[in-house]
Amino acid sequence: MSLSAKARMQFMKDLGFPAMLALAKKTRGKRRPRQANPDFGPPLKCAGRLKEIMTRHYYLSRFAPGARPVAWVTSGAPVELLRAFDFYTMYPENHGALCGAQKMGPELCEAAEQEGYSPDLCSYARVDLGHFFSGKTPAGKLPKPDLLFCSNNICQTVVYWYKVLAHRLNIPLVLFDTPFNYGEINDTDIAYMKEQLLEMIPVLEKVSGKAFDLERLLKLAELSKSASQLWGQCLETMRARPAPMTIFDAFIHLAPVVSLRGLPVARDYYEILLAELTQRVAQGIGAITNEKKRLMWDNIAVWYKVRDFSELFAARGMNFVAATYTNAWAETIQHLDMSHPWESLAKTYSLVILNNNLEHRLKLMEKMVGEYAVDGLVVHSARSCKPYSLGQYDLKRLLSQRLGIPAVVIEADITDYRFFSEEQALTRLEAFFEALEAA
Amino acid sequence: MSPSQLPTRSEYLKTWRGGGGKVCAVFPAQYPKELLWAHEVLPMEVWDPPQEPARATGHLQPYICSVVRQGLELLLAGGMDEVGAILFPHTCDSLQNLASLVADYLEPPAPSLFFYNPKAPFAAAAQSFYVARLQALDEELSLIFGPAPEGALEEALEWSRRLAGLYARAYARRAAGELKAGAAEFYAVLRGGEYLHPRDYVPLLEAWLERASATEQGRGAALLMSGVLPGPPDLLETLDDLGLRVMHDDLISMSRRLLYPPPEAGDPYEALARSFLAMPPCSTRGSSLAERLAWLKKLARESGAQGVVFSVVKFCEPELFDLPELRRGLKQAGLPSLVLEVDVNQEVGGQAATRLEAFGEMLS
Ligand code: SF4
Ligand code: SF4
Repeated sequence: MSLSAKARMQFMKDLGFPAMLALAKKTRGKRRPRQANPDFGPPLKCAGRLKEIMTRHYYLSRFAPGARPVAWVTSGAPVELLRAFDFYTMYPENHGALCGAQKMGPELCEAAEQEGYSPDLCSYARVDLGHFFSGKTPAGKLPKPDLLFCSNNICQTVVYWYKVLAHRLNIPLVLFDTPFNYGEINDTDIAYMKEQLLEMIPVLEKVSGKAFDLERLLKLAELSKSASQLWGQCLETMRARPAPMTIFDAFIHLAPVVSLRGLPVARDYYEILLAELTQRVAQGIGAITNEKKRLMWDNIAVWYKVRDFSELFAARGMNFVAATYTNAWAETIQHLDMSHPWESLAKTYSLVILNNNLEHRLKLMEKMVGEYAVDGLVVHSARSCKPYSLGQYDLKRLLSQRLGIPAVVIEADITDYRFFSEEQALTRLEAFFEALEAA
Repeated sequence: MSPSQLPTRSEYLKTWRGGGGKVCAVFPAQYPKELLWAHEVLPMEVWDPPQEPARATGHLQPYICSVVRQGLELLLAGGMDEVGAILFPHTCDSLQNLASLVADYLEPPAPSLFFYNPKAPFAAAAQSFYVARLQALDEELSLIFGPAPEGALEEALEWSRRLAGLYARAYARRAAGELKAGAAEFYAVLRGGEYLHPRDYVPLLEAWLERASATEQGRGAALLMSGVLPGPPDLLETLDDLGLRVMHDDLISMSRRLLYPPPEAGDPYEALARSFLAMPPCSTRGSSLAERLAWLKKLARESGAQGVVFSVVKFCEPELFDLPELRRGLKQAGLPSLVLEVDVNQEVGGQAATRLEAFGEMLS
């Protein structure tokens, strides 16, 4: 790491970014505010702070190479370990969501397809590879990684995808292999994962040039735990009627717990978000003005449709109050126990929803339906994501039968809207709305 | 013996069961078949059953590969009603979820067994983890089928070594032009191992090797075949009709798992773990692209292949992700390649034949 790069990054952190932000605020102040949609309650005040945090994260990342070791990380990887070595971490999945929301999915996917990547592959991967080949991104510029850190607790796809990056960039790929839980987790699996975490230390020391410090890891893990717990509490506020935010808001507000977990900024953010949500509950302020029906979402967001969907449902007095996806970053954090850091990291990360059997998911969904007083279920069958999607037809059927709630499957994709038929989705949703309104 | 002289799957299963034999259906790809043999259980591998897709459609999205689809179809059509267990190795996301779907919701006719393979780059802990997994599977098999007799596992390992030796001989003779068998016959015979017990299969394979051994004059271009399965069948026939010679393969169902026997010395579990970890690089095990590329180049060099045909199952993420980099690396090494995306049992048709012909001409 070079001293001048460090100094430059520090300067940008202390002066460059705040100055840029002040300028942006000034310009924004002059713009006319957008017409408020009467179907929605007042927007979350925190949204501005969230934007600031994420912009800062992407902006400063440009100055990270040379100043800090840079790692690209999968969303379910035990990032606390990287933080202990001071890695600046980037999340290609978060970047994929950003590109999806900005409707850049097809353009970037095509860039990957031109290099031979099949359109049938996960579009987060294609967006990332498309960005890699074309340099295009709505985030300015992403820093080149020194290391790739990947866990297959969400899918095997990330392993295939990161292997391509490792090969192209000729950099180390560290894999945290988390045996899939067909049944209950067992001691053999935990021991295997613990050993792997310990084996990573010399690699991370070598790439970062920093010695491992257990105390530091424990502190970071504590921070990570607080952020995830606070995020869980934010989601729990949606049990209130009316719910103070929608899942469509939560899709956006989960960015810090995914990308900045283990840093004080993520914990601090969720403290203010929680305070705001609690206050809204106390004042009876709902995310939508006329909450008649409460829904649950299964799978990742349809990023290019978040706004349209949120308006479509709000116009009918329907609010999404729960999602298996947003819940994933809060669900297992109770296992993180500083007195057994390695075993507990293994448990926390291997017990996440996508590393568990379908019965686990069904039970979780049943529980959420009860706790959040859910009236209906929308299942996004995401072409990109086989581990999230294979089995959904049966999950939908069973949940609907067992709990007597209407459910619908919409076939779409997370970022690549070339695979989304609006007409077909709307036809299915119309039938769902009718069933829900009749219920 | 020609492939038509091999007992068919249904004939063999009938005879096996008639003799009181036990059967375990096994989904792709790598699994410790020796453990099943030790329990006197016949593994019946389910790669590409020729089912008309019907019932599976209600459970699987259209973007799920045909290996998973056809396997589920077989199960739903009653094709596994007589088995004592169904084994799901952890091969890819789709098979992982299929296993859970079947076990949790589809009321399978027999208990489901799961086998998690550690993924590359293998941590030092992978060996002991694999051994522990073998022991757990062994216990589960004992509960379902009864304990394996004393010494049965050692005997099973011996069968495994004999079989791997014969496979290796078949591959070597083919590459040396000493086997009078086209791709269709070669793979039809070697795929017998997917359902025949080695006690019956080894003599058949030996006899075939004897009979088919003859010096073959090289005709058309020499190929290496990579992908999931050899086939579909009409693809192999097309290769033969065009005079294209498959010199070696890097197929998941074939050489990526069949040619590497467990070592002779030591504890049998340890030997099985060592042979798993020493298998050639494979997309489903997470092997790096550098390893896969080096391996493909080695196979091509040693077998004299001039180009590579990738026969990839549609929607197969592990294979499709590796393709572009492999093709780029092969091209740099002067090895052209051709990709055919296929559904299992699909007629590949005239267009594929034209592409293969043009590819063969380019290589000649
Ligand atoms: S969308 Fe699914 S397949 Fe793609 S990276 Fe995420 S979890 Fe993996
Ligand atoms: S063909 Fe590919 S995706 Fe399908 S089961 Fe085999 S490895 Fe999995």
